[in-house]
Amino acid sequence: MLNFESVTKKFPNGQIALDNITLEIPDGEFVFIVGPSGAGKSTLLRLITKEIIPTSGTIIVDNEDILRVPSGKIPLLRRKIGMVYQDFKLLLSRTVFENVAIPLEVLSLKNIDLEKEVDSVLEKVGLKDKKNSFPVQLSGGEVQRTAIARAIVAKPKILLADEPTGDLDPKNALSVVETLEKINKEDKTTLIMATHNASIVNHFKKRVIVLKDGKVEKDEKIGKYESS
Amino acid sequence: MNQVNKTIKLLRRSPYQALAAALAMSLTFFITSVFIILVIGGQIILNYIEQRPQVIAFFHDDTTEGQINEIIQQINNTDLTTNVKYVTKEEALAIYRERNKDDPLLLESVSADFLPASIDISVKKASDIENITKLVKERKEIDKVITPENLVEQLVKWTKTIRFGGIIFVSSLLSISFLIVIMVIGMRIAIRRDEISIMSLVGATKWFIARPFFIEGAIYGLVGATISVLLVYVIILSYSPNIQEFLGPIQVFPINPLFFIYLWAGEALVAATVGICGAALALYRYLKIK
Repeated sequence: MLNFESVTKKFPNGQIALDNITLEIPDGEFVFIVGPSGAGKSTLLRLITKEIIPTSGTIIVDNEDILRVPSGKIPLLRRKIGMVYQDFKLLLSRTVFENVAIPLEVLSLKNIDLEKEVDSVLEKVGLKDKKNSFPVQLSGGEVQRTAIARAIVAKPKILLADEPTGDLDPKNALSVVETLEKINKEDKTTLIMATHNASIVNHFKKRVIVLKDGKVEKDEKIGKYESS
Repeated sequence: MNQVNKTIKLLRRSPYQALAAALAMSLTFFITSVFIILVIGGQIILNYIEQRPQVIAFFHDDTTEGQINEIIQQINNTDLTTNVKYVTKEEALAIYRERNKDDPLLLESVSADFLPASIDISVKKASDIENITKLVKERKEIDKVITPENLVEQLVKWTKTIRFGGIIFVSSLLSISFLIVIMVIGMRIAIRRDEISIMSLVGATKWFIARPFFIEGAIYGLVGATISVLLVYVIILSYSPNIQEFLGPIQVFPINPLFFIYLWAGEALVAATVGICGAALALYRYLKIK
């Protein structure tokens, strides 16, 4: 369960990114957070990982008020959350396998278990034959699927995807979101995807939360999005 | 061990900065080793000279055994000496013959009557030489007094200077090495900022992120200490015959191999501490984790 209760985020320059947001996302749900650039989508995701803290309000992640999590325990909070970025955030000097293995290295997994887990997740995202390739040797869709593999390899309870299709062509974008949907269904991972790609949102028929100027404009169980 | 291997792998990806830091450490600890050996060598020479008679007083020919014993007693009563040895005319002749055995010309027509009896005096502290010399010179039975012309004092002064200069010089080099480690690790933190940011976002603790940098600092220290001691060992091994020839009767070689093991262990400990402290300061200064 993920709860936002009256959450406001105001940046030091005075800009209000989120304005008194209240949301509830049950375990295992697939939610699109949509809205134009500057609507507060990325801010909402960064609040969940405690990269930034809200100006006011309460955020509950997995029954834990994250504002009360001391700085030394933030890594434990982040291990429950996987994150996929628009710019992938892959290490270009590492192979697909090495990039995906990072969260497991952090968990100090034994090499033999690590290899098993990475191979399994690469198979799930369809990249098993690319495990020794470097990111520059992959297509855009493959790079994003590598990022997804890294985000799910440690079996997080929540998967956040910030504009994961932003740099992809329509075919690859669809393939990436299909992969995310598969993970949501098979692993019961709560999936929150920020996007402004209307065709993707409308294709998958999931819950849609529309943000505008930092406020929830619409929240529909099977929603649609019409970008302006 | 896994962490050490990973750190070595990272070092190999950008070897030049690592080489700079390790060489700076090597230079520092090579100079440190040289100073340590100079100070120990100086002490060995000092001990040798202090054990030799520092004041030799020659008697007039007409001095009686009783007068000689009285003088020896007077010197012993000062409690400033470690040894007072009476050398008779016959013993003086034996010493003379031994020293000149290769030169028959010098041995011809020399008898014990030509050589004076003497007393060889070893003092406890070099600073007492002057008092003892004054005391024996005041005796009318003494014909002549010789001292090794402030050699011991000079040596003490030199040893102290080397020790003091060494501490200043080595401290300066240690500071430079420390700053180089901070700079190199700071650069490596900057180079790896994307990786650090990703690690932080996937749940790495600060210690997990910082650990390779601490290991890196320790590796610079260990490599530096090892290279320096190996270099010193090879140099000493190569030049020990020449140095021993220069030192003459003062026995310095062979140096016990354990000395080099202790030297390495001591330097490795100090160098690794410098490396780890440098890494800690670099991490404190440059590692920013959200």
